[in-house]
Amino acid sequence: MTEPTIAVTDLSYRYRGEKHSALDSITLTMNRGEFLVVMGASEAGKSTLAACMNGLIPHFHKGRFKGDVVVLGRNTREHKVAEMAEVVGLVFQDFEAQLFSTNVELEVAFGPENFAVAREEIERRIDESLAYVGLTEFRHRSPSTLSGGQKQKLAIASVLAMHPQVLVMDEPTTDLDPISKLGIFEITNQLRKRDDITLIVVEHETEEVLQADRVALIREGKLVKIGDVRSILQEVELLESLGIMPLGIPRFFKAMGYQELPLTPDEGVQAFTQAGWRIDETAHQTLVAEDQAAIDALTEPIIQCHGLEHTYPNGVKALQGIDMDILAGDMVAIVGQNGSGKTTLAKHFNALLFPTAGEVQVHGQPTKEQGVFKIGQKIGYVFQNPDHQIFSDTVFDEVAFSPRLRKLPEEEVKKRVTEALAAVGLAGMEAEDPFSLTKSGRQRVAVASVLAAQPEVLILDEPTTGLDYAEQRGLMDMVRQLNQNGSTIIFVTHHMWVVAEYAQKMYVIKDGKVFLQGSTREVFSHEQKLLEASLRPPHFVQFANRLGKTFLTPEEMKHCLHTGA
Amino acid sequence: MDAELYLDYNTVIHRLDARTKILLFVYVFMVLVLFENPLWMLPIATLVVLHTALARSWRNLWRIRALLAILTVWSLILWNFFASGETHLFWIFDEQSLLFGVARTMLLLLMITSGVNLISTTRNEELVLGMIRLGLPYRVGFAISTALRLVPTTAASLQTIAQAQRSRGLDLDGGNILERMRKYVPLLIPVFITTIRSTNVFGMALESKGFGAREDRTFYLQLHITTLDRILLIGGGVFVLVSIYLKLRGYGDIPGLSRF
Repeated sequence: MTEPTIAVTDLSYRYRGEKHSALDSITLTMNRGEFLVVMGASEAGKSTLAACMNGLIPHFHKGRFKGDVVVLGRNTREHKVAEMAEVVGLVFQDFEAQLFSTNVELEVAFGPENFAVAREEIERRIDESLAYVGLTEFRHRSPSTLSGGQKQKLAIASVLAMHPQVLVMDEPTTDLDPISKLGIFEITNQLRKRDDITLIVVEHETEEVLQADRVALIREGKLVKIGDVRSILQEVELLESLGIMPLGIPRFFKAMGYQELPLTPDEGVQAFTQAGWRIDETAHQTLVAEDQAAIDALTEPIIQCHGLEHTYPNGVKALQGIDMDILAGDMVAIVGQNGSGKTTLAKHFNALLFPTAGEVQVHGQPTKEQGVFKIGQKIGYVFQNPDHQIFSDTVFDEVAFSPRLRKLPEEEVKKRVTEALAAVGLAGMEAEDPFSLTKSGRQRVAVASVLAAQPEVLILDEPTTGLDYAEQRGLMDMVRQLNQNGSTIIFVTHHMWVVAEYAQKMYVIKDGKVFLQGSTREVFSHEQKLLEASLRPPHFVQFANRLGKTFLTPEEMKHCLHTGA
Repeated sequence: MDAELYLDYNTVIHRLDARTKILLFVYVFMVLVLFENPLWMLPIATLVVLHTALARSWRNLWRIRALLAILTVWSLILWNFFASGETHLFWIFDEQSLLFGVARTMLLLLMITSGVNLISTTRNEELVLGMIRLGLPYRVGFAISTALRLVPTTAASLQTIAQAQRSRGLDLDGGNILERMRKYVPLLIPVFITTIRSTNVFGMALESKGFGAREDRTFYLQLHITTLDRILLIGGGVFVLVSIYLKLRGYGDIPGLSRF
């Protein structure tokens, strides 16, 4: 037998200053040309494992390292990162921070330059790598002018230009819209077919891992299970217990009592037809009627946009005439491609931005006349990255920031902090240092610190990005609870399953205009039109659509089913 | 946000070799420090303004207009504390010290303008390569360019953070100086944290792309000295030498000025 491409033997690692091991006795081998996906909850050790592949651990990060990682005969203990880089390429999740050149071709040239590749050869590799990821026409552009998906493609191209034999990608699609995600996975699929590249991808998104050969599941630094992709994805309960999203289609068939579970929409439709099941027309109509009744029940407008336009100082027209009413009690999702204008729109709701034409009114008064300080009391805005707002030494001070600025008496401040922390599930954490919490903990602190101002409307910009499935569910369940207690919720997101399961209404923004709107069920039934806006419903909804009726969750469908006889 | 310092135009200045642009910048410095008298600074001032006009870099100057205005006012006043002359006007101001203040202010503004001209017309990579070709080690050149790269990214995250805190009710205007300074704490801490985090990823990305893998390194970018570069370099050199000669002959001072 030939020597494996990657041999990880009894690998354990603990970051300096940490009590728990990030990796615990991991053993794993990969052969040339194989494609492995690594999945697990946040902080399970996925990124740590990725960083071990090219020697960032133990060379860049300091800590206690045991065991061996040997890639193509090079032991990471004995080779510096820069030496490993010749055979192992690493793509990071954060596409902003890993690009640093002023134009696309120089970004791609940087790696080969470091290995003293001849200039003519670099030229050839730039052509080759950019063509591979489909960025040829952007060769002379500045990376900062590219969209998120294009930036990540560029990051991949810049690594491919070094001709690595092993490519490791650490959550490459986390911040991307569904179609940009797909673009990255098409590249992965192309790479998979090549037998000269061994591929490791760390990923949250279950739908995108179907092309892998094997999946490794890790929990608290330990390898829980490794196996071929089909058998792993059928383990609905195991995945859920590890904080990984199980696919909707196997979840549905599992609930129907199946043993051998179909995975894709195609397989689902086939199994459904074979079983001879039928969807109960009346039950489905009841669902649609319930949707409509819930929407009709809301009448009092809070935020109203009339012909809203926004042109940035650099001349980019981000919004081109938006008409939209947000009603008291709404649970609204705003979706669209990266750069479609959804965040710009949301920033008009609390007067962070003002229209350059048209008008935005809050409670019947133009935002221009009120300003962000006054409107901030009624409309809270949680930014995407909690690290953009957290600054206090304790969770209490952080959450008390807003009420204190509003000069509330300390008694009232205390009461509000307690309530807000209880609402986000952080009761009793007042004395903790917010910086020591996990990403999801910091996200909750950020939400609490906005809730403490007791706004009527809560805007959440990408609240679930960077969280694992269990954390996403936990956060959105909490948001739904707030909505049921009377708050109006607006959230901007890329996660279509979050929209399907949590939003009542949705607005699809495309090129600065409202492209589609309506009840979530209604909008998700227009699959073709969504595609034009670079969006795509989750697998389960696609599967339901192909059966002729739009269902948003497996539970709904199960409820509306005639199972023969 | 659009915070890049490099302006992607194709002017005659942009097309110059990076080495030429760096050396012209050094020339300007050398000439500026020679003269005390603002009148004697007019020729170099004219050239710098011409450079700015040709490079179309006024857009970047306009961005820092507030900083320039503050520097101008302070500099015009402060230099009078450090110099005096024979013709007293009022309070701390003498005719000679005022002239000297004008000259020092011009020096400050023209140096900044030259710097802005350089980074508005030279890509980061060209700047590094230019410095290396002029004899600086690669790592030093790269460090300088990384520092420059941090300016726009930090400015962009500062803007987002300010929006996040304003949404929470932070009012950055109003209050006395001490209160205002305290208000910046909620901005500065997140800026530091996010900058440190992204610099960490940046460091990892650099190593993962083989930074410093070996002693030799190729440069994809190529620099070309053209006839225009030669003319400017020689012309600029002559200008510097003539200026030094005139200074040595005692021209360009302010008679009756005493500096402390």
